[in-house]
Amino acid sequence: MKKSIYFLLFASLLYTSCKVDDEFEGPSLVEIYGDFNVVNGLDITNRNVNFSTGESTTFTAAFSKSVDWEIEVKGLQSGAIKRFEGFSNEIDVTNATWNGTTTDLPMFRAEDCAVQLSIIGVADTLRDTLTVVGSKVYEGFVAADFENGWNSGWNTYVQSGANMSFAVQTNNNAAQGGRYYEMAGAVSWDWLIGLVNMPGSAYGSTYYPLTSNPSNLYFNTMLYKPAGIDNGLVLFQIKEDDNEDGMYSAGSEDMYSIQVSLTATGWAKISQRYDNIPTLVNGAASGPIGNGLHEPNKIIEVSVLFLANPTSGYSKTWLDYMIFTEGSALEP
Amino acid sequence: MKNKLHIVVGIVALMAAQFVSAQEKDLRKVVFTGAARGLYYGDKMGQEVEDSITIPRMNSGHTLVDLGMNIRPNKNTEIQGMVRVRNDYGGFWGSGVSFDIRQLYIKGVAGGVVRYQLGDINYKLSPYTLSNTQQEIITQGPVVFQQQTRLMNYDNFYAADSSWRQQGAAAEFGLQFSKFVKELQFHTVATRVRTTDFGSINDRLFAGYNVNLVQSNFLEIGMNHVTLFDIEGTSRNLSTFHNPVTTGTLLLKKDFSNWKMKVNVEAGTSKTYYEKFEGSPETNGKIFDAKWMGANNSKGLSVEAGWKYVSSDFRSPGAQTKRVNYNYQPSSFGRITNDQVVRNLTAFDLMRESNAYNRQLSSNLMLIQPKYDNITPYGTATPNRQGVTVNARYISPKQLFEVSATQLMLQETRGEGTLIPRKFMRSEVKAVAHLSKRFGSKDKLFDVSVRFRNDNTSREPEGQVPAVDLSTQILSVGMEYEFWDNWDLMLGIQQIQFKGFDQTSIRDNFSEIYNFKEYQTDGKEFMQAAGVRYRFSDKSSLSVNLSNFKNTDAFDATQNYSVRQFMLLYQMNF
Repeated sequence: MKKSIYFLLFASLLYTSCKVDDEFEGPSLVEIYGDFNVVNGLDITNRNVNFSTGESTTFTAAFSKSVDWEIEVKGLQSGAIKRFEGFSNEIDVTNATWNGTTTDLPMFRAEDCAVQLSIIGVADTLRDTLTVVGSKVYEGFVAADFENGWNSGWNTYVQSGANMSFAVQTNNNAAQGGRYYEMAGAVSWDWLIGLVNMPGSAYGSTYYPLTSNPSNLYFNTMLYKPAGIDNGLVLFQIKEDDNEDGMYSAGSEDMYSIQVSLTATGWAKISQRYDNIPTLVNGAASGPIGNGLHEPNKIIEVSVLFLANPTSGYSKTWLDYMIFTEGSALEP
Repeated sequence: MKNKLHIVVGIVALMAAQFVSAQEKDLRKVVFTGAARGLYYGDKMGQEVEDSITIPRMNSGHTLVDLGMNIRPNKNTEIQGMVRVRNDYGGFWGSGVSFDIRQLYIKGVAGGVVRYQLGDINYKLSPYTLSNTQQEIITQGPVVFQQQTRLMNYDNFYAADSSWRQQGAAAEFGLQFSKFVKELQFHTVATRVRTTDFGSINDRLFAGYNVNLVQSNFLEIGMNHVTLFDIEGTSRNLSTFHNPVTTGTLLLKKDFSNWKMKVNVEAGTSKTYYEKFEGSPETNGKIFDAKWMGANNSKGLSVEAGWKYVSSDFRSPGAQTKRVNYNYQPSSFGRITNDQVVRNLTAFDLMRESNAYNRQLSSNLMLIQPKYDNITPYGTATPNRQGVTVNARYISPKQLFEVSATQLMLQETRGEGTLIPRKFMRSEVKAVAHLSKRFGSKDKLFDVSVRFRNDNTSREPEGQVPAVDLSTQILSVGMEYEFWDNWDLMLGIQQIQFKGFDQTSIRDNFSEIYNFKEYQTDGKEFMQAAGVRYRFSDKSSLSVNLSNFKNTDAFDATQNYSVRQFMLLYQMNF
């Protein structure tokens, strides 16, 4: 009995003498359960930010506890939207620094922007404004942004269907800048509604001025699907002059293709690493036509074909900002 | 020097002796082994809420044969292959039939020195390096329920020795000495835990070794080292995971009059890190576990008391991986009510659904179910625990009854979200009475078992942070009675009652806590069953069981239901 008592005393002593770390794991429960209040309101470090020169701006705020928050920046002219989200008690350079990129296309342009900070579970929204003095400039070879209108080196073929429109448009609807290219019409006898050929000569040389490394190069562009138009197909054909004779020989030299059928209304970004672009025959992946090597430095022409099922009637799409980037896909 | 030390007198394969002697007894070159089973369930669900969508009756089951061939081409080699042929009820002419390789290994003794095994191996090391902790709740229930649990364990290769079934290679050998040291034992194992997809997932291996020095009958010293790691270059992903764990062990044995005393200590460290993964954390953990054990066989009494410390950052996938995958959704009545909500996993499902179980080591801490076990959810190596454990066991003279009691008094080593640690208290009593020794014929089966466990987790409130108070009570009573030659009557009830509040941690991909979720529970799971079993022999039996399961949840009316189950089970081992 005596021994048992000693043992229990010893066990209790051990139990009570357990040392606990002087720091805890995870976020503070005191913060999570505490009352919410704004310690520092929404602020913007650079209210006139010029992204074209590499500037950035940071949104800041501080709260009494960690919360789910969201900052939305909306271009008042373009309608572009940039969002930041997080769960923290502080908004700062680590989680809310903006370098001019976009979450929902179109891209921001030089314009005034509305900023709002909302917190889940809190009714009030904090608001502010800023001005984008210059929009972000992306590195890469811009094949088409239509900002200077039609490139005289390009050529088109447009069917003689109904309500045909293949033209550069100037208004606030562009994905980038102020202009984009509209392709529209109804052709009841053929899938092809119209096409645009963009040869390397339009840029001052036989070939596109691109790297020879296909795994480091990305093809990017933006397409728009209007509401209620679901039948359009856009086919990008990238033609290589495998034998470097200065011309593309159909059926014996490589042509890599990307076929796009948009499902969501609005602008969408299309990006693909060059060495992953397949050869397509009637929309299906196929064996190579030429030497089978992805050789971007031998691209002699890019064609954009707008297609629709001839029985499906009128179709329309917009094209903007076709750019080849190195290292990573375009992050607009 | 030679005379002084004169150490090595022989090299023996530790297990080889057993292996060879077993072969000498049975000289047949080819032996067929395996098991057969026929299992049928007829279930009927009853619900308190209106449900015109869920089909209330469900019949399921299967027959299967595990057919193994044990080939011994020579006295030092053994090859085992086993195929499983399974046919789900309702499958005819090939539909519902599956063929699987269930087991394939080669083992033997190389050069009369090294015992090796290639292929499927069952392996365990220490409780903090490689050990397959038993699943919660159902492993120690009445026999009428355990009939089904044993099938789960068999299907998932969960052995009684807590070993993990892995695919790889193992080798063991030992050295015997004439002076100073009795024996030096070496064990090593390497298994493949995950295969590459050649894209973003690398091959992942688990490897380890154990060296055990038996100095004398009084002293043994050991060292365990295991590591779970990715092999760089097996996919395009350059980042690799590493989790080495090293522990040292000490075992002291001494007899004092009728008492056999033992002191067992294990201490060690773990490190978890990624290479070429920017922003990934590196964590270092440590453990210390010391136990004193005393047994007086003449009095039938044994006592064990220990103190342990497992830091919050201690990570040991080989010891912390759970058997139960709590992300699993039950296949039987998976969705219920007119809203077809998901039916929560219960002890009833854990008793009979093989697919709820996990067979592979997990690098992350797996999901737990606090209402079943909030104290040792990851077994002995559960991180963030320190405190005292006490066990006592008494076997009466003539083995009429056995009683055991366990007390755990633990607390966190580091608070979660607060500096105040949770405190954990577990009290458990188990008793088995072998009544045939007192009543009726001594060679007849007549066992009655009772088990009660009370778990409590608590933490004091802090400011507006509410107090934690979560408790679970488990009561089970069972009986096996041989009422006629080889005819047994089995009865059992089991009730799990849970109530309270806790803040469960939500962990990221690095197993670090980034948020908390309020966990409020108030419910009861009640099972009762009666069955009759006929034992054809020690290796085959036929059972018919009727059971009823009732689930009650005070916070979610959709989870208030009952399931009546009819089970027919034939099983045979050969």
